[in-house]
Amino acid sequence: MNNNEPRLPNGLDEFSMTTASKQYSNIGRAWYRFSRNYAAVIGLIIVCSVILMAIFAPLIAPNPEHAGSFVNFRARHLAPSWEHWMGTDNVGRDIFSRVIFGYQVSLALVVGVLSLSVPIGVLLGIVAAYAGGWVEQTIMRFNDMLLAVPPLALALAITSILEPSLINAMIAISFLWWNWHCRLIYQLAKSIVTEDFVEAAKLSGASHWHIITKEILPNCVAAISVKTTLDAGFVILFGATLSFLGLGVQPPTPDLGTMVSTGSNYLPEYWWEAIMPGLAILYIILGFNLLGDGLRDFFDVEV
Amino acid sequence: MTVESSNLVEIKNLNLSFKVYGGTKQVLHNISLSIAPGERVALIGESGSGKTVTSKLLINTLNPEQIQIESGDIFIQGKSALTMSKEQREALKGSVMSMIQQDPQTSFNPVFRIGTHLLDIMHSGDKNLGIKQSKTEQKERIFEVLRKVKLLDPERVYNAYPWQLSGGMRQRVLIAMALLHPTRLLIADEPGTALDVTTQNEIIKLINQLVHDEQLSLLMVTHNLGVVRKTADRVYVMQHGRIVEHGTVDDIFASPSHPYTARLFDSVPKLFHSEESVEDKPETPVLVRLIDVEKRFATKKNWKGSVINEVLAVKPTSLQIHKGETFGIAGESGSGKTTLARMIMGLSELTSGNITIENKHLDAWRLNNENRYSIQMVHQNPAASINPRRTIAQTLNVPLKHIAKVTNRKQEIQRLLKLVELPPEYADMYPSNLSGGQKQRVAIARALAANPKILVLDEPTSALDVSVQKSVIELLEKLQRQLGLTYIFISHDLSLMRNFCDRVAVMFRGELLETGTTQDIFNKPTQRYTKALIRAIPVISDEEERHKPKISDEDALQVLQQKY
Repeated sequence: MNNNEPRLPNGLDEFSMTTASKQYSNIGRAWYRFSRNYAAVIGLIIVCSVILMAIFAPLIAPNPEHAGSFVNFRARHLAPSWEHWMGTDNVGRDIFSRVIFGYQVSLALVVGVLSLSVPIGVLLGIVAAYAGGWVEQTIMRFNDMLLAVPPLALALAITSILEPSLINAMIAISFLWWNWHCRLIYQLAKSIVTEDFVEAAKLSGASHWHIITKEILPNCVAAISVKTTLDAGFVILFGATLSFLGLGVQPPTPDLGTMVSTGSNYLPEYWWEAIMPGLAILYIILGFNLLGDGLRDFFDVEV
Repeated sequence: MTVESSNLVEIKNLNLSFKVYGGTKQVLHNISLSIAPGERVALIGESGSGKTVTSKLLINTLNPEQIQIESGDIFIQGKSALTMSKEQREALKGSVMSMIQQDPQTSFNPVFRIGTHLLDIMHSGDKNLGIKQSKTEQKERIFEVLRKVKLLDPERVYNAYPWQLSGGMRQRVLIAMALLHPTRLLIADEPGTALDVTTQNEIIKLINQLVHDEQLSLLMVTHNLGVVRKTADRVYVMQHGRIVEHGTVDDIFASPSHPYTARLFDSVPKLFHSEESVEDKPETPVLVRLIDVEKRFATKKNWKGSVINEVLAVKPTSLQIHKGETFGIAGESGSGKTTLARMIMGLSELTSGNITIENKHLDAWRLNNENRYSIQMVHQNPAASINPRRTIAQTLNVPLKHIAKVTNRKQEIQRLLKLVELPPEYADMYPSNLSGGQKQRVAIARALAANPKILVLDEPTSALDVSVQKSVIELLEKLQRQLGLTYIFISHDLSLMRNFCDRVAVMFRGELLETGTTQDIFNKPTQRYTKALIRAIPVISDEEERHKPKISDEDALQVLQQKY
């Protein structure tokens, strides 16, 4: 071949559509795509606001001392006003302050549950898909069994056997939660294990552990992060349900579910005592769901 | 705006950009193209050259929000398409031009019957043309078109689900879809590329015949020069979004003037050479020996796990592979060639028979740690065989750590990249930053990292452009000389095998039909199937066409339609 056209070395003379995009950093591109989805950006703002509120709760809350067992009967059942944005409760505590501290509890629950259940679920899912045979059958049938039990009934059973507390609520919810991740990641990993690169890794002498953690897991990260984000909202809701039933966080710790539960005794006259914590739950769940949906579109994965 | 023109379709000095993040990217540069009534025009180029964008622009299926026409115009039957209203433009689809979909596997919705797909198109076309007909009349017209594309049992095809038809039949249905309404220009984007070469040959014959009978114009979009030679009068060569050369097929094939076209022709492996250089390789000892190897797959088992139904993937087969040679296994999809190779690699159990390597039983041979990983593989599609989430260095690290047990792996990775002619800085890149050919080089480097004796090449170049294919094949030849490797080369591309393999085995539906030196198989094939297979390969010169083995159409058809 003797032509005058300049040739790149090594036959790299292929025209690649990615040349233009390479000029921009991948993070910049990712943020650009994400920012086009307004719902997701709103979700991100909500989630960030809640996290900031939780971290700086003592600084933000107008009456930090109201988070504990504070009593001021003169100020009980006050309607929302400039002084008390969300009104006060049956013992005169500022509901807005308690909501902000309640977010601390909610987020602690989310972090606790997900950091316990997601790794277990993901690992078991990948192992089941990769190992096949009786390992797969054992893991997945046990999983199916748990999925068949009504989650609330199981959680109630666990928390009533153990002492009702934040930690035990976490344990109960985690016990229910891992199997959804297991199911999802199992399906995904099942298709990844048939990919050529898994076979190539086996031919390269890679260990099972290497294949599970280095070859398959990185390809599941998108799905895991979407599912985890969507889950965060549901964990909060579930925790609130447990608290509402008196089996979760115990008073006087400010918990959104407990607050709705106590407030509901004074409905409809002092409506804000149940509705305001309820809206606070709505706000955080909405945030996580919008963010999760946005991430799903962004990563383009099925959950 | 209208112009007087005898052309059915004309694109004039068109510049087109895609809107991408952070600006625009020009994909078509000053494209001019014309198609006269009844003319067959081919648009040829490698992936990313802009040929498909051009054809989509013509039929208006590009997303208008993503494109920006900088300058130029498109004239369809003398009228400017860019000034037309959306409805006018839409009405041209199916009445002036129709497109044949490329991929028969993915173009159908598997839950709907073929008839539903056809009726939908019939319905929307009728609406555009203002035809009102009952469903029975529409069905009658559909049957007529199905007969036209040589689907002899239209009733069955009409009522079938897509998965009940073979790839070739589905491709015919896709052609029928384009012909449901009288059209003037047929746009075919790589028709039959996903099919076997013998089926592809039939499809191309069919398109040619239809274009002739119906007096249509044809725009053939393809990367295959052999297909161009068979189906076009004029050809446009595209590279990097520009038309670099155009002219009649005869002129361009006789003397390509642009260096890119010349290089393209040069890259196509020749099926027959005028000066045959028969270099006899010295006879080497037998490395792999297959004795009556057979493989059955259970397709159905009862609850106790005993087999009720099974398919014979590989019928009892015996062959020998010599040390240092390139042994080709040729065959179409489903012929058992990959299964055979996987059995040699120990990835798939034999049902019966025996494989020996270096005169030892396969299992015994593999027990030796040194031999355990010494058969390596290069997969067909590098996009699938390299983990997209790991850098090149991480990928290459695995065999170096686990098999070669190298301590200074950084240096070894550099050596491997140099061996496959990639720049050293690629080590820290992710596969998405590499082109297809470069990824395949990485896959080759990974296989070499294990110090293999035998390399199984499973269609290593079929996902690559022809010029890249050439460079990859040259690399493989160089590596074989340097490292004394034995290659088992699996492919359906006979012209490539012709130039690359020392000996070839031809497989058909699980059966090994014949084995011999490449010259013997290509010059004096004994089996009818081999002849039919070689005959179907699209070639780029009359000389090659003359050298093809003689077999009558009836014979070829008969052997291809044989039952299992």
